Amino acid sequence: MEISRKVLRPVLAFFLVVALLPCIIDSDYLVRFSAAILLWIGMAGCWNLMSGYTGYIDFGPVVYFGIGAYITGISMSQYGWAFPAALALSAFVGVLVALPMGAVTLRLKGAYFAIATFAFAETLKQIILEFDRTFGVSFFQGSHGITLPLTAHDNTFFYYWIMAVTTLVTVAHLYIEGSRFGYGLKAVKDSEKGAQSLGVNTFAVKLGAYLTSAGFLSIFGGIEAYWISYITPADVFHVHKTVQMVIMTLLGGMGTLAGPAVGASFLTIISEILGETFVEYYLILVGAIVVLVVMLLPEGLMGAYRDIRRRTGAGPKRRGGRKP
Amino acid sequence: MRIPGWDEDKLLECRNLTKTFGALRAVDDVSFALWKGEILGIIGPNGAGKTTLFNLITGELKPDKGRVLYRDRDLTALPPFRIVRAGIAKTSQILEPLKSLTVLENVLVAATHGGGLGLKKGRDRAWTVLERVHLTSAAFLPPSSLSVLHRRRLELARALATGARLLLLDENMAGLSASEVAETLDLLRTLNASGVSFILVEHVMQAVTGVCQRLVVLDLGKKITDGVPQDVMAHPKVLEAYLGDADLTDGKDPDAPSGGIS
Repeated sequence: MEISRKVLRPVLAFFLVVALLPCIIDSDYLVRFSAAILLWIGMAGCWNLMSGYTGYIDFGPVVYFGIGAYITGISMSQYGWAFPAALALSAFVGVLVALPMGAVTLRLKGAYFAIATFAFAETLKQIILEFDRTFGVSFFQGSHGITLPLTAHDNTFFYYWIMAVTTLVTVAHLYIEGSRFGYGLKAVKDSEKGAQSLGVNTFAVKLGAYLTSAGFLSIFGGIEAYWISYITPADVFHVHKTVQMVIMTLLGGMGTLAGPAVGASFLTIISEILGETFVEYYLILVGAIVVLVVMLLPEGLMGAYRDIRRRTGAGPKRRGGRKP
Repeated sequence: MRIPGWDEDKLLECRNLTKTFGALRAVDDVSFALWKGEILGIIGPNGAGKTTLFNLITGELKPDKGRVLYRDRDLTALPPFRIVRAGIAKTSQILEPLKSLTVLENVLVAATHGGGLGLKKGRDRAWTVLERVHLTSAAFLPPSSLSVLHRRRLELARALATGARLLLLDENMAGLSASEVAETLDLLRTLNASGVSFILVEHVMQAVTGVCQRLVVLDLGKKITDGVPQDVMAHPKVLEAYLGDADLTDGKDPDAPSGGIS
């Protein structure tokens, strides 16, 4: 893995600030709000890892969030597992489910892939809703949902858990930006046939990205389940979460390192500000802003930033590496 | 899979390759061999099945019948990326570089994935290859900013970077001026001297007669004949296949003025 200092410095600075934030601010509301932003940065990052870099638009990533939430919920409430162990199991099960799902859906292209992933998420939600009634058991608790053991931990505890996983998602981004694997993904995005003719095992790199994304999303689902301590299929499999991940990444810039962070922060902050001022109409305003940004900046905020730098003569990056 | 009785001097052998599209027999029972270090030309009128034959070798199409043997391995119907990794790379007739990557990154993908190198070694090879095809000055540019000549060289660079010992060039010289063709031929000769074998599908007769040591002639999917260029060009069946085609007079006369016919 190769990381240029130019990239590493802002990333380290960002996480240094993030790590110190709860020590500086002493408002519980702000810690909770910052944790929410970090969670969305991580989740949008998961979507970006797969869809941003390969161009395969996944419309059902929420399924792994939901799986993680349920695995954590059940293993903690029914089997008395500790939180970290429950998260590990969530990641494991998420990847285990993603393996056959990815193997099947990644052979589809374009809209068919989007529809298949969307359908899978909705199907799993229905299965969990109806499972207990159909088989006469008491496991997923259907629409009643699962109540997790009450936590004695405060928001700072969850803040650091989220920060840790979001850091790992960022490391995965850095790996893609400076590795053979990452070049394989970018090649797939440009032309799958072209990538194959250069020797890229396109199926393997796509599956690699899909599994990574699924594993991290499952952990995020587990963290949120313990944090809010009550989950239902309707909540944790809600398509709204998918839409958020997609929009945040599009706003920030698909297939870029900073895109999900910029998009997630931007959308969460303007939603919060507008939500306070225009309680009734803020969603309309947020929608209008999203439409405007997408229309005016088709490559997202990071794309616009890159264009400005290019115009002000910052010079093109020597992408690919200097001559030895 | 080892092939019993494989001749060590042989690099590639196609045995009875057949591919049909509906009622059309695009490639019909074609067999030929390529020796190590050889430059072989495949010629034939439009629709003769040349590009289909290439796609059968590279795995983009699966043959209905027949085998593709390389060194002493059976590569028939392996996925394209496996065939590249085995050592056969193709330059495409349709120029399709990876457009969001730089020229260097395009070659880097070939070196790291097709060539199985790590990023560091892959970069070294990418620069070496770019130097060989005289593209170093364009390394950091997007491929879309290259001229046709340079794009064809990029195709060549990408194929070379995979470390392939056999390059299939599908009309790599179409649309080039006579001097550009001559320049490309020089490059091919240099590469050939360093141990790379070639199969060319080419309409530019200057190229066919200039570098090919042997020709295979296809017509309507069937192999009509093969042999050294002079013999092949005089073969009655070849003349018949090309009858009325002015291209051939160019090819028959080595002193004829150079020029690309596409």
